[in-house]
Amino acid sequence: MDYFGQLLANGLVLGAVYALAAVAFTLVYGVVRLVNFAFGELFMVGAFLTTSLMLPEVRLVGHVVPMPGFSFPVAALVAVLLTAALGVAVDRIAYRPLRRAPRLAPLITSIAVSVVLQSLAQTVWGAEELRFPEFELATYPPVVLFDSIYLSVMDLVVMASALCAMTGLTLFVARSSLGRAMRASAEDQTAALLVGVPVDRVVAAAFAIGSGFAALAGVLYAQTYGFAHSSMGFLPGLKALTAAVLGGIGSIPGAALGGVVLGLVEALGAGYLPNGTAWKDAISFVLLVLLLYVRPQGLLGRPELNAAGRGSLLGGAAEMGGWLRGVFAGLDRLLAGSSARGGAVALGAVALAAAAGLLVPSDYWLRILTTVLIYGMLASGLNVIVGFAGLLDLGFVAFWAVGSYLTSILFVLVLKDGFGVALQETWWLFYLNLPLGGLLAAALAVLLGTPTLRLRGDYLAIMTLGFGEIVRIVAINWVGLTNGPMGIRGIPAPVLFGVPLGTPRAQFFLALTLAAAVVFIVARLVRSYVGRAWVAIREDEEAAEAMGVPTARYKLYAYAMSGFVGGFVGVFYAHYQQYISPLNFSLFENIILLMLIVLGGLGTFIGPFVGAVIWIVFLQVAIDIPFVQAYPETRFALLGVILIALMLFRPQGLAASARVPLVMAGAGPGKAGRAEGAVAGRAGT
Amino acid sequence: MSGPAGIGHIVHPTAPTSHPALPVEPLLEVRGLSVSYGRIRAVEGVDLAVEPGRIVSLVGSNGAGKSTTLMAISGILPLAAGTVRFAGEDITRLAPEARVGRGIAHVPERRRVFAGMSVRENLVLGGYSRGDRAEIERDIDTLTALFPILGKRLGQAAGTLSGGEQQMLAIARGLMSRPSLLIMDEPTMGLAPQVIDLILDTVLEIRARGTTVLLVEQNAVEAMRLSDHVYVMRLGRIVHQDSGSNIDPDRVKAFYMGAEA
Repeated sequence: MDYFGQLLANGLVLGAVYALAAVAFTLVYGVVRLVNFAFGELFMVGAFLTTSLMLPEVRLVGHVVPMPGFSFPVAALVAVLLTAALGVAVDRIAYRPLRRAPRLAPLITSIAVSVVLQSLAQTVWGAEELRFPEFELATYPPVVLFDSIYLSVMDLVVMASALCAMTGLTLFVARSSLGRAMRASAEDQTAALLVGVPVDRVVAAAFAIGSGFAALAGVLYAQTYGFAHSSMGFLPGLKALTAAVLGGIGSIPGAALGGVVLGLVEALGAGYLPNGTAWKDAISFVLLVLLLYVRPQGLLGRPELNAAGRGSLLGGAAEMGGWLRGVFAGLDRLLAGSSARGGAVALGAVALAAAAGLLVPSDYWLRILTTVLIYGMLASGLNVIVGFAGLLDLGFVAFWAVGSYLTSILFVLVLKDGFGVALQETWWLFYLNLPLGGLLAAALAVLLGTPTLRLRGDYLAIMTLGFGEIVRIVAINWVGLTNGPMGIRGIPAPVLFGVPLGTPRAQFFLALTLAAAVVFIVARLVRSYVGRAWVAIREDEEAAEAMGVPTARYKLYAYAMSGFVGGFVGVFYAHYQQYISPLNFSLFENIILLMLIVLGGLGTFIGPFVGAVIWIVFLQVAIDIPFVQAYPETRFALLGVILIALMLFRPQGLAASARVPLVMAGAGPGKAGRAEGAVAGRAGT
Repeated sequence: MSGPAGIGHIVHPTAPTSHPALPVEPLLEVRGLSVSYGRIRAVEGVDLAVEPGRIVSLVGSNGAGKSTTLMAISGILPLAAGTVRFAGEDITRLAPEARVGRGIAHVPERRRVFAGMSVRENLVLGGYSRGDRAEIERDIDTLTALFPILGKRLGQAAGTLSGGEQQMLAIARGLMSRPSLLIMDEPTMGLAPQVIDLILDTVLEIRARGTTVLLVEQNAVEAMRLSDHVYVMRLGRIVHQDSGSNIDPDRVKAFYMGAEA
């Protein structure tokens, strides 16, 4: 009972923090229907600012800067206000121009904003943890309840401030004029504008409040655990989002309930399950996946009366763009031929790559080119689901991991360690594993896909995200199967009929062959009736359904295909690297892959490779710059900034003209181009 | 409807209540208005003027560009070309909420009441642009006198009202900003004949109390019966207009249906 009581108390404290951050997600989602992934990073910024303001001096970008040394409440207040201002700035710059864009655009932008903020924080505050300073309030003796449950004074402060903030916000939204305007904007932005509500300002207010809440959660979290770190917002951010979805996203009491439930479940799970602390993160995501399956609207959420926007996030495009378009016009023309003469261009690209493979003298650059191909293939797989079917998948790395682990476990843990087989004799197994890994991942994808089919696009993204995290956590913690965080070493390089393919050049050509196969398969599929169904779902799921396209089945095909490519590439990846660990398959990798296809062009065949070439080569070239050597993470910040700029000015990516349109004859960028194509098609019949 | 006395303070002080013989400075003046959706031009070169104290209608078939024109006047849709002047001021670049502040209220197509909010909250939101928050309660009383049914439903969620009641709420919500121009987009759409009569009587009542009305109707016959001036739109352009007693239903119908002369 004492133990249970203490866990309950710990869970409530943790739940209070989750609830505060969950409110941020729920408020902004409620008003603009955007899952702002960047709240995890605003949480982190709040923690850093408070910590810095309380110290006498801080090392920023390597320079010692004097700080005011505020008391905890003052520092926390200033940090919350500054973070609120930052949140408003982020909305103004990165999201407001995308209000009429397809929903995928601001979602991806918010992921890019996350990457930028996290990388910049690492540059400013360093890669080390910043210790949270001692202060008087925290030194008071703990309060003892029922003789056995210990709560520090700060624990009480955490719960009290969460309660006050939540109550205050609920009253504000229900009673105040601005709160009423927020609810009106949430219901119908046009009608709100027509009655004189300045919707942009109302949305900015929602961002300010949400960011303030996220920052407050970050402050309390940093205080509880005693540190601030640039990546500290990632997991709590996901948990808060989980809590918001759990409670019913858009509902403030729901966010509070979801946060508390999550905090309690985590604390109790960590306390009672065998090896519970290691698994506690998985518990919350399993809870999320299960809940979305049985009750997608969350505990307190009302089911959406209007199912519009279900599934695809890319459809319903309004005209976007800006002055920067002209800059890309030349590139467009360069690439315009590729959709019409796809075969010739593909052959040319393969020949060019092969020539590069023969001519590049150094093993170093051959390895880089191989990495490009691997990322290009992976991005192609992700592109099937995101670019062609228009469904955001944040758990794609799980498929990659499944392929890698399948072959590594079979070769190293089963054959070598288990049966003592000499691995040269089973070289053929690698070639068998390629499709096998693909099929296993595809099966897993279907398993995951089935319950998500009836979810709205945002929920789908969150569920895949939870799934990806579960696979990663299993890989870390199921030591018996995966060797845990140690990873698996000694995976043999591919061999072909006794000829080892271990040299960088041989591996490059193997990768090139596989990449050609992947692109060929994807291209054939996309150009078939299956691909047409995908594109139809992407453009307008309801219309597709009304035209008799069995959308559920085709979405499953997209999942399966995407999973197959992920698993297939995973098998090669393991034998190429000869070592894998759970670190290889983080959500961050998934985000990078997503950025690469946006960079190259969603829904194009060459886009993923264009993105991969630019990114991997840039990574290598930039590392020679002294500043980048000191702050390697700035490369990720730059990628994020480029991505945001692309979403704002050129959402169709660099290889836009190659995007597969709904009407194949009318290739052209943007909705208008497609509409024209449709008109032309009708005129032709 | 026997309009009860008491919306006197909504009366525009300078608005004439009878039809002036001499042309007056228009309250709303639209010149060369064009709107595009992507590469598709939905409205091309529309000129129209609404004189104070009048009911002016814009009629035309589905897809003629009527609602698009209204949305552009309210600032919701961006203009590809043209200017909008209101009460002598160029408002072409003004934000939608600022236009409400200047005195333009827009009762949108399909009513678009805030379904999850109470009738009272809908009305209070209608007065969002006003500085005199104290007067809001008084205007709610005035408007519930004009629409007694709303008075009985003040605490009810707007989404639970019938179509006709929602239309009355949408009109009352528009009037809450004390507009000098009330734009109404298809206020009779989908309503029962009796309710249509009630709504159209209300339009006359609103004008009688001094608010100028710009009305979009698919039902050209009803629109002509009410209006002082009629514009006919087809394929994004104004193809015909007629004023006062000159309004010839047959000619309007001919243009509506697509006659060339």
